[in-house]
Amino acid sequence: MLRRSLIAGAAVVPFLRNAARAARDAGVLRFGLSSYPPTLAPWQNAGTAAGTVQLIMNRGLLSYAPDGTLQGELAERWGRDGDAWVFKLREAQFHDGTPVRAEDIKWNLEQVAGEKSTAYLRAQFQQAERIEMPDARTVRLVMRTPNATIPLLLATFFMPVVKPGTTGAGAQPVGVGPFILKAAERGVGLEFEANPKYYKPGLPKLRGIRATAYADENLRVAALQAGDLDLIEYVPWQSMAGIEADPKLRLDATDGPYMYLVFNGKAGPFADARVRRAVAHAIRRDEIVRAAFFGRGKPLEGLPVTPGTEFFDSVRARAQAYDPARAKALLAEAGHPNGFSTTLLSTAQYGMHKDTAEIVQQNLAAVGIQVELKLPDWATRVALGNRGQYEFAVGGTASDSNDPDGMSAVLDGTLPPSYTRSINLPTPRVHDLLAAGRSEFDPAKRRAIYAEMQDVALEQAEFVGLAWRSQGYAMSSDIKGFHNLPGSIGFFSGYTLETAEFV
Amino acid sequence: MGWALRRVGISVLLVWAVASIVFVAIRLVPGDPAELLLSQGGMAPDPAAVEQLREQLGLDLPASEQYGRQMLGLLRGDLGRSIQDDSPVLDSIARRLPRTLELIGAAAVLALAVGLPAGVGAAIRQGGLLDRIGSALSGLALAVPVFVVGTLLVLVFAQWLRWVPAGGYVPLARDPAGHLVLLAMPAVTIALGLGAVVFRMARAAVLDVSARDYVRTARAKGLAPRRVLVHHVVRNALGPVVTVVALHLGSLLGGTVLVEYVFNWPGLSGLLVDAVSARDYPMVSGIILVISVLFVALNLLVDLLYAVLDPRVQHG
Repeated sequence: MLRRSLIAGAAVVPFLRNAARAARDAGVLRFGLSSYPPTLAPWQNAGTAAGTVQLIMNRGLLSYAPDGTLQGELAERWGRDGDAWVFKLREAQFHDGTPVRAEDIKWNLEQVAGEKSTAYLRAQFQQAERIEMPDARTVRLVMRTPNATIPLLLATFFMPVVKPGTTGAGAQPVGVGPFILKAAERGVGLEFEANPKYYKPGLPKLRGIRATAYADENLRVAALQAGDLDLIEYVPWQSMAGIEADPKLRLDATDGPYMYLVFNGKAGPFADARVRRAVAHAIRRDEIVRAAFFGRGKPLEGLPVTPGTEFFDSVRARAQAYDPARAKALLAEAGHPNGFSTTLLSTAQYGMHKDTAEIVQQNLAAVGIQVELKLPDWATRVALGNRGQYEFAVGGTASDSNDPDGMSAVLDGTLPPSYTRSINLPTPRVHDLLAAGRSEFDPAKRRAIYAEMQDVALEQAEFVGLAWRSQGYAMSSDIKGFHNLPGSIGFFSGYTLETAEFV
Repeated sequence: MGWALRRVGISVLLVWAVASIVFVAIRLVPGDPAELLLSQGGMAPDPAAVEQLREQLGLDLPASEQYGRQMLGLLRGDLGRSIQDDSPVLDSIARRLPRTLELIGAAAVLALAVGLPAGVGAAIRQGGLLDRIGSALSGLALAVPVFVVGTLLVLVFAQWLRWVPAGGYVPLARDPAGHLVLLAMPAVTIALGLGAVVFRMARAAVLDVSARDYVRTARAKGLAPRRVLVHHVVRNALGPVVTVVALHLGSLLGGTVLVEYVFNWPGLSGLLVDAVSARDYPMVSGIILVISVLFVALNLLVDLLYAVLDPRVQHG
């Protein structure tokens, strides 16, 4: 009897599966996020999953096209007028049907720059002297100093335009994006349906998006392979080969984010630029790419200038290349012919940070630098980094844009202390050159400024590049129109969800 | 009456002590919630924005004032609001706790349904086939970590056979069949280890009780073997089994995190780990407090069950 019941029960299971599996509704994309967004509030940095969700439901003045060039969103046209940026708005409506006017744009920019703002780009937009509205469809953003990078900032997911008065505690801001949030189950997932009033005719192509958070990267891949999901972000490197080999799936990966070393210049050997350069020349980056990223990445032997851009220079890109003899000579020159002992801060919470630290430890031992690893959880690592309680540390991030100005957060040691850049190592020359590049509009002059900036930064070596890491999306092979944006803007790929469709 | 009042008083003191210890402990760990929230993805936030957020969250107040506010909130039954998204902590716990309780409950039912009869059977025929197979399997079940079992189940049943989804959650009200299918794999994963414990405890306890004088006397009196087993052996052997299962269930309240993670089951353990990672102080305090209260309640329940199973406890 028991045996018969068991067999009967087992026979039913495959049929139950269809009930349980988020069955593929026609035109609804099932998207596996790497985490549930900690907050849906606009303008704030809340991580890449939160940023992607912003791009599903919101749009700002500008965005990126699949090839990485800027394209207009709410701004149909934009251009420079002296120290001001001028944006001509197109006809568009908020999700509730209210038209978008120039004063709405002004209100959004004022929130970002406000005294009580927690916006990621707060400091940048506090440089606006005033915002003018010559007519209902024109916004003039007058800057205190000319700024060539404003359009790049406006194309990030940190600058959505939402309806005035719809933000605040517990409120769900009303946006203008291709999809409208219909339901959210905190910690589980979010459901969106197409915005019928979206300002781009024929878009979005999907009927809706069902985004589910899968914090475990292996389960995220398993769910894609099992057909529970159509698209996943943050493909773990160890799974990329398997996905490429699967004819039902497609991998779209690009080298964008990078790993690097930062230093504390307060005391000890790392106060000496020669020691920092010695460290740079002592590391075999191919080992990091192999061990931490399963070969999915490239050595980063200089500053993280996006290859293929006009600012990339193949000689400077190899300035910190592996050269143990040079490393030993620099150490000897700096008074450490037999090396020294030090501590490297990283985190055990993320495998790539831990693995990178271990390779650095091994490589430095070969030139006589004995490294002890300190691997607390991520929260502690960030706190220690921000307070300068370390000797040198492993970092991992992506630039804000493919423009050299996007590297400011890791290179400009004159900015306030942050775990993302070296500490107690002010870099006035780099700071000045970055500022000069930011306020220069002539492409040739900008190239010259950033070339000089790279030379200074490489000489000072407050930043030691380690590896570009591949950032990938994987999807069912019948999805068309979704693209991983090139270089450091890969995290903004959510922009292309509006053209994604099943074929 | 006096005994009951004392007991209530001790419980209140316990809750206060737990709340205070958690308040201090979480703040002793390095890491700043505002800084972390704005540093996601390896980004560098503007320090002024971090300061502003700290002010909005009340993190700039002196620790004594934060403590006072939290305790006053507790008196009103208010566990505060999440630092991450400003939602009430109690709401999140109310949403997540039933899912973890359901998971633990389902696992306990499975573990008892299989482990108990198997353990008793193994003890009755000590050294027999069931005993040998059961002992070997329970050893294996205890040795293999839950995330290995979980990953294997996902691989076999979701990826190879494609019978079930690779984890996830749908509310019972929306899709009852789907809910149960999604519950099955995580529940089985927890039940494997728990069932092994039940099997071993039941087997050892039955063997122990079977050797007692009163069992020998009962047999000598000519009582039917079945009656001896059910009324004298199993009933007396259940005490330690209940204690061990209850203790395990208690620790599972905060310890199902790996299973929740592997199967994407949005329960309380996962929420606690996320809250600790984000240094979401009110959320961490709230969850630990609720788990502590449940743990105390569970212990009380065990005491009561003991009294039912063994009348001597009531008199003692």
